[in-house]
Amino acid sequence: MADYAVDQTVDITDVVCPVTFVKAKVALEELDAGQILSIRMNDGEPVQNVPRSVKEEGHKILKLLDNGDGTWSLIVRKE
Amino acid sequence: MSFSNEQMTRYSRHIILKEIGVKGQKRLMEGRVLIIGAGGLGSPAALYLAAAGVGVIGIADADEVDLSNLQRQIIHTTADIGRPKVQSAREKMEAINPDIKVNAYQTLAVADNILDLITDYDFVIDGSDNFPAKFLINDACVIARKPFSHAGIIRFQGQLMTYVPGKGPCYRCVFDNPPPPDAVPTCRQAGVIGAMGGVIGSLQAMEAVKYLAGAGELLTGFLLTYDALEMKFRKVKLPDKAGGCAVCGEHPAITKPFDYAPAVCNIEP
Amino acid sequence: MILTVAGTKKEYPPDLTVTKLLEAEKVEMPMYVTVSLNDEFLKREEFDDTLLKENDSVEFLYFMGGGF
Repeated sequence: MADYAVDQTVDITDVVCPVTFVKAKVALEELDAGQILSIRMNDGEPVQNVPRSVKEEGHKILKLLDNGDGTWSLIVRKE
Repeated sequence: MSFSNEQMTRYSRHIILKEIGVKGQKRLMEGRVLIIGAGGLGSPAALYLAAAGVGVIGIADADEVDLSNLQRQIIHTTADIGRPKVQSAREKMEAINPDIKVNAYQTLAVADNILDLITDYDFVIDGSDNFPAKFLINDACVIARKPFSHAGIIRFQGQLMTYVPGKGPCYRCVFDNPPPPDAVPTCRQAGVIGAMGGVIGSLQAMEAVKYLAGAGELLTGFLLTYDALEMKFRKVKLPDKAGGCAVCGEHPAITKPFDYAPAVCNIEP
Repeated sequence: MILTVAGTKKEYPPDLTVTKLLEAEKVEMPMYVTVSLNDEFLKREEFDDTLLKENDSVEFLYFMGGGF
């Protein structure tokens, strides 16, 4: 994560599909284009679906990091 | 405005849609819609707009719930018989979505109050059941420059059109004057299939939602007609504007709302 | 003569006025029907004198008053 200056983080481990993506989308909405969001999500269904949905919205996925505690951090640049 | 987790869940199916998204849902939540008539058209429109989270919804109707309403006016229940329709409607809307504010006006929309009624709203839904009201709503919305959805239903047929100031014809461009009372079957004499209000009233809610959220194309310049027996929808292109329209034409003769004599219904409900 | 009436193309006899077309199409209460001809509103007093021609497109718009 050190590679990127993360402007904002959002934790979507407290919600389930499809609100996972919705919460990420709301967080992205509040950023300006070019800013970077780190999205913390659970292993399994969220990490399978949220990155794809975020990409479909036209944002740039920079990295997906395994936090080693059953969660992942998706680093996204708002486009 | 930021969303709570609860709001994100409640409106998740909207927010996921590209055409609505976060911005569109915020616009809905900041939006204000007035529904005139809590009947066959107004019932589904009110329920869907409440569910959609439209911030302020006004509902105007002078009547009380009657047993004969319940075949189609799905916002009211058997237990509501005899109660003011707007009170019954408000309870259901708030039960669906406590986030919204409902303004209940237990009054008939007439020339004296229509401009005051519509002034605080972004969009008006005509769910009235008679021609004098439909012309009054049209005239008031044209004069006050309010977008509105017109609709009519009868038997197995329904139609609707959307007026937005400066875009396409108004209702009076299409129909210059109401027919004489009782010349065209209205209200109770003709009957109506219950689900017709559901189809057309839901389409009116759809227009309000699209207008507020800024999604898609509105039904301006078109009359959408629906024949349930033939199961046929037609989107009929309307001429641009009647040049000499008495209310939206270049030299309007109508500059303030006025009341036509109400149609007399000879048959008791 | 081919006309498009309410979205449907059909063969009609020549020398047909709008009034006659309303009769032929069995339009109920034609005095309360709005007619558009080739995307222009037609005034009611013009129905009798307006002759339709090949490929004209006619729409009937009906009053619908209920909302109940």
